[in-house]
Amino acid sequence: MGKIENRIFSSYERNPILYDEIYDKNGDIKNVYQKLFDLYGGHSIRDYVKLNTKAKSSFFNQGITFQVYDEKESQEKIFPFDLFPRIIDQDEWDVIERGAIQRSKALNLFLWDVYHDKKIIKDGVVPMELISSSANYLDQMIGIDPPGGIYNHISGTDVIKHNDGKYYVLEDNIRCPSGVSYVICNRTALKRALFGVFNHYRTYSVTNYAENLLDLLETTKPKGVDTPNCVVITPGMYNSAFYEHSYLAKTMGVELVEGRDLFVENDFVYMKTIGGPLKVDIIYRRIDDAFIDPLEFRPDSALGVPGLFAAYKKGNVTLANAPGTGVADDKAVYTYMPQIIKYYLDEEPILNNVHTYHCSRPDELKYVLEHIPELVIKPVDEAGGYGISIGNRLTKEEIETIKKQVKENPRKYVAQPIMSLSVHPTYIDDSESFEQRHVDLRTFTVLGKDKEFVLKGGLTRVALKKGNLIVNSSQGGGSKDTWVLKE
Amino acid sequence: MSSEYSITYKAENHYENWVHDAHWQFLIIPEQNNTQEFVSVDFKNSLGAINEYSINGYGFRTIRIQPRKKFKEISFEANFRLLKKEVNPFDFELGEEIVKSYQKIQELDFKVDFEPFLRKTHYTTLPEKDSTIFQFDTEKSIFENLKALNHWTFIHIYFKTGVTDVHTTLHEIIDNRHGVCQDFSHLFCALARQNGIPARYVSGYLHQGNGYFGDSQMHAWAEAYVPNIGWVGFDPTNDLLANTDHIKVAHGKDYADCSPLRGVVYSKGKNTTSHAVQVLQQQQ
Repeated sequence: MGKIENRIFSSYERNPILYDEIYDKNGDIKNVYQKLFDLYGGHSIRDYVKLNTKAKSSFFNQGITFQVYDEKESQEKIFPFDLFPRIIDQDEWDVIERGAIQRSKALNLFLWDVYHDKKIIKDGVVPMELISSSANYLDQMIGIDPPGGIYNHISGTDVIKHNDGKYYVLEDNIRCPSGVSYVICNRTALKRALFGVFNHYRTYSVTNYAENLLDLLETTKPKGVDTPNCVVITPGMYNSAFYEHSYLAKTMGVELVEGRDLFVENDFVYMKTIGGPLKVDIIYRRIDDAFIDPLEFRPDSALGVPGLFAAYKKGNVTLANAPGTGVADDKAVYTYMPQIIKYYLDEEPILNNVHTYHCSRPDELKYVLEHIPELVIKPVDEAGGYGISIGNRLTKEEIETIKKQVKENPRKYVAQPIMSLSVHPTYIDDSESFEQRHVDLRTFTVLGKDKEFVLKGGLTRVALKKGNLIVNSSQGGGSKDTWVLKE
Repeated sequence: MSSEYSITYKAENHYENWVHDAHWQFLIIPEQNNTQEFVSVDFKNSLGAINEYSINGYGFRTIRIQPRKKFKEISFEANFRLLKKEVNPFDFELGEEIVKSYQKIQELDFKVDFEPFLRKTHYTTLPEKDSTIFQFDTEKSIFENLKALNHWTFIHIYFKTGVTDVHTTLHEIIDNRHGVCQDFSHLFCALARQNGIPARYVSGYLHQGNGYFGDSQMHAWAEAYVPNIGWVGFDPTNDLLANTDHIKVAHGKDYADCSPLRGVVYSKGKNTTSHAVQVLQQQQ
């Protein structure tokens, strides 16, 4: 079956400059996609639309939604989804998985160091400013040994494929990376709509995430605890990721709690239950550092638990991720990742870093100011794609504004060359056809004591606006089921 | 020789409406260190709520209280008795050459080890125009310079209560030139740090029998790290080196790390708070 006969892809326009995930250099369908291409091609676009609509409404009916901040009225949205999956073969996946573990381990060692001896700074490998001017460095964590020696239990490493065909890491999210529930829901939705396609591929399961997460969290239980009691703490139902919090608690088989459901007595944490207080040993917290304990951090926080940090400091409870982990989530730290990996693990980085210019260095600042149209300018401390400017999309006035902002506060910005994210055929409602859209991949790595787990799959995020490079859901991104193939 | 001190700390809170849920954390217990030794610690509250002895994020002892019944007023009273060894603040040898100690504070290892106490925090950031108002004379030892800074701060600021509060920053203090012990200590820390010397804010009690400033609240002073000597206490409010009359509770980067009382009270309407501190000494 050739391209012309394929009904569903007959109008697919392929821009040869972009790296298309399903075509090879010669314009032929890649082997791993051929079967899928044929199977989908057997349907008419009308059949496909019907299935896709059904799948989407099932998301809404199940309440798999998120909210966007900063809009006048916050409203629930579904994460746009399409039924054409992304496939990653075993060899490519192997690189991603080893790379993600390597980074997570290196970051864990980095965190230990910056809260203990600070050797990496004394050895001159990274500058002191990484901690002294980071808003996320928590002095209260200095000298604390987190249970099991783990800071970043859960890391969300975002990777892209550049037009050179290589994977690059865009950022390491190690505060409260979200999105894993969509990975599982996308798989469920696809199975429901097109069960048959799974018969033709040997795909790794993604539904084992929750059990692995619980398993590994339990390896970091506090000393002296036999069978730890784990809970998931959420800021509440108005949080943009509430669905995920409830989903994870449910699938891990643990309680979902809010701050007011817990209390601290004599430096131990308890959950209020109708059967009386129940001691809590591990808290998977989806609340930011500043809000976890109003007696230690922000006093206006109604989300946290008074006394929680004292319990943590005494080693009576595990917090995942550990407080203060955000210092390594800083985009300025990202730029030192190759050196950090080398320093702690004595290994070469498996995944590439995107070259980064530090606006805090005078010579690099000069380069950035002169080359804004070729660069992406990012604030170092914002998450969710907020505040990112892509140089070649800016008007002259916007360029001047950015220059001014960067000059006023150089430490706040880094710049990177504009990476060309690979594209993947994505169903677009407006044109009722498949079009090329940029994609990235958020991977999920869990570190336990001497054990680690990477979810074989991940969240392929799609920038739905044509030509757009920012894939975050808060910026109008969609997602795809992602298959990792067994050999 | 040592002296026995008896410290009483009282606080009273009144609320217009019923309070159903409240948490407090007191950072008022004197630190146990090589000059301070406990005889007894006693803490009471009018609601009979359990006192939980714990630590804060920096490891200093705290008392946490969470009443389990609704209330409109609550009072706290703490009594501490401790033995304080006679402190001679000049009891050290300067030893090392002046040049070497200035080299020491330039070393990366030194800067990294003392990083938190060299940082510009909310309360210890000098206005740009004032960053050079006190510069060390490197012909003299670091200790001599710190003594001079202590004196300079004492002269530069007039002690006056009621014009500054816990939110006042250095900008206002330098321009208006008055403040209380907190403000003196923040200014001292800021200028010591500006000159490369690690400095920390100290909260504690001052025995006022000798006519010092410090009012009947908790007192604040500073400690600066002098290479080869260690942390030395300076009380810029009184132009003194910290001595036997200075009873330390906690230290931190600034007031925010040491505030004696943190509370989360779920209540609507007005409330009033009052504190009182008394320090008595018995010669032994």
